[in-house]
Amino acid sequence: MTVVQTLLVFVGIPAGIVLLIFLGTYGSSLVRQPNRYRPGKPWTFEPSWYVPHPDAVVHDTGQRQIEAGSSSTTAVGGASGEW
Amino acid sequence: MSGDVTKTAKPAELQFGPQGSAQQDGPFTATQLARLDEALTLSSRETGLTFSVYVGELKPPARAHAEALFEKLTDDSVLLAVSPGQRVSHIVTGPGSSTRLPNRSCALAALAMRAAFANGDLVGGIVTGLRMLADSAGGTR
Repeated sequence: MTVVQTLLVFVGIPAGIVLLIFLGTYGSSLVRQPNRYRPGKPWTFEPSWYVPHPDAVVHDTGQRQIEAGSSSTTAVGGASGEW
Repeated sequence: MSGDVTKTAKPAELQFGPQGSAQQDGPFTATQLARLDEALTLSSRETGLTFSVYVGELKPPARAHAEALFEKLTDDSVLLAVSPGQRVSHIVTGPGSSTRLPNRSCALAALAMRAAFANGDLVGGIVTGLRMLADSAGGTR
């Protein structure tokens, strides 16, 4: 065998097998879960604020509880946590 | 379905309605957004309180930032502020909502959320927190 053939057999084939196993293990999750959060990873997304659909939140008087930018209040209590 | 959940790109301006293509670039998939929407809408409708969820960076001191965000809401609001990058979460209640939700209930919800977040389940943690808070607040009086 020439040097090239030896390299192909003893390096190329094992590397190919390792690559196949890697793709079989992580391939599908690489494609399907690009946004998956893992603790400790940086969070690069823009801040976003989710509020319930206005039709779902109606006062007894029929008024919406949140009017954009028109209200103000102060925080009273709550809790916090770290992970 | 996911169009029902309202997302504001800039937290400074609280707006209604989907913000263009912003939802596609967001951190959550359509299924996750639907779960979030359902939990938000159901817990708000059930309790009469306005729940809202903020996901993003909280400038230190994080608690003060969360409370500043809360000041844009109403007395009957409950804010769940989650910062995955800093690994902190804050629940903020106001003059109206704190009578229904004592700090003890909020701490319990925060603990349950923490457990899910530590496993990397952001939406699961938020949904669990919303459900627990809605349960302890009880129905509309």
